[in-house]
Amino acid sequence: MRVVPTILCCLFLAAPAFADKAAVPPPPSGRIKGKVTVTEADGKPAPGADIIVYILAPNFSEPGGTATEKIAQKGRKFVPDLVAVTKDDSVAFPNEDPFLHNVFSQSPPRKFDLGSFKKGESKEKKFDQTGVVDVYCNIHPEMAATILVLPNKKHVRADAQGNYVLEGVPAGEVTVFAYTRRATKPVSSKVTVTAGGVLTVDLALQRGAEAPHKNKYGANYQGPSGSYPK
Amino acid sequence: MPERGVEMQTWVYEVDDLETNNHSKTTSLWWGPLIGVTDQLELALPIEFEWISADGMGTNFTLQRFGIEARYRFVSQDPEDMPPFAPLVRVAVKRDVVERAATRLEGDLVGSYQAGPVNVLADLGIVAQIDTDPMKEDIVEARPGAGISIEVVEGLRVGGEIYAELNLQGNDDKGWAGIGPNFAWTYGRFWISGAALVGIYHVKLAPRFMWGVAF
Repeated sequence: MRVVPTILCCLFLAAPAFADKAAVPPPPSGRIKGKVTVTEADGKPAPGADIIVYILAPNFSEPGGTATEKIAQKGRKFVPDLVAVTKDDSVAFPNEDPFLHNVFSQSPPRKFDLGSFKKGESKEKKFDQTGVVDVYCNIHPEMAATILVLPNKKHVRADAQGNYVLEGVPAGEVTVFAYTRRATKPVSSKVTVTAGGVLTVDLALQRGAEAPHKNKYGANYQGPSGSYPK
Repeated sequence: MPERGVEMQTWVYEVDDLETNNHSKTTSLWWGPLIGVTDQLELALPIEFEWISADGMGTNFTLQRFGIEARYRFVSQDPEDMPPFAPLVRVAVKRDVVERAATRLEGDLVGSYQAGPVNVLADLGIVAQIDTDPMKEDIVEARPGAGISIEVVEGLRVGGEIYAELNLQGNDDKGWAGIGPNFAWTYGRFWISGAALVGIYHVKLAPRFMWGVAF
């Protein structure tokens, strides 16, 4: 008989805490969807290009540190060659090729050198500054990838047709960006999101040539691609 | 040194006018590859040459010793992951070519602290030469050192240091100590560092240059 009053007492004591949580409404947000088309420099479409869509808004940031993206080294390529992470998230770099790779970056937001490591091994780095991080292999100059380190979690990879949906975008004025590797610059559109509203934002990107890059010592790569020890 | 990285290192260092050893003058050369076994463990395979001149002894230049040494960092070598305090231990075993019954053991405990552009470093080193020849005495030396440097522009550090080689056992000379400015410069795959130590104990000068090229 004494159990029931005890439970009631606990519920009663707990009630203010539940009430406090219930009293904080989620921030007003809306949804942005659309399609991103990518063309090469000659105007021809670039089907299947990796595309990241993200938003930036004044005073809007979200904590990261919980997610780990993956960029594999496979067939002398980075797969995928474009990822977006939230600040303080990590990226793992597993080697799935039967030869060595030496992944490095000289980009100011995150310089690193993973050394050379073989098939089946993986190394991981945390990204604690926002910005664009260009990643290369010191052995295979044709390998290149880009990591976008963003201040919030409102970023998404478009599907193979370029369609995307961004959920939970904070209400107010935001800028929607689309980015693909080799784009001369991200394209953007400034929009106003209303609570519960759905906006359609279509964007078009144009790719250029792969920008030349140096090896991890800041020097030109030696020899033609493919002449390096495997 | 990242995993599977390789660097050729060269050290040249002098001890000029060692008062307690017939005013000897020595120039030593340490040369060898350094291999990154993991991101935290490096192996070196040094060979060492020595030129020496002393009062009443003439001059001599010889292959002095060769061996293997390991350096282990207890923290990541990635500058952005590294905590401010970075400890390192170095151990080496070397075969003495001249004293053929002698084995030389070397050890260092090194701690460095980084605060913005300022780096403070302390090194407690010890060298023991164990001789199986009963006519020869074992030698034990303490080699403490400390330094501070500041990065003045990207890749260039300047500072000062104090260093000593103090005989604890088995040698008539008392050792020496010096103090002076130092610098380190990194450019791509190349780095160089140097120190110009002026004697404060039983020596006149003890300059040093070290450089490395990564592959």
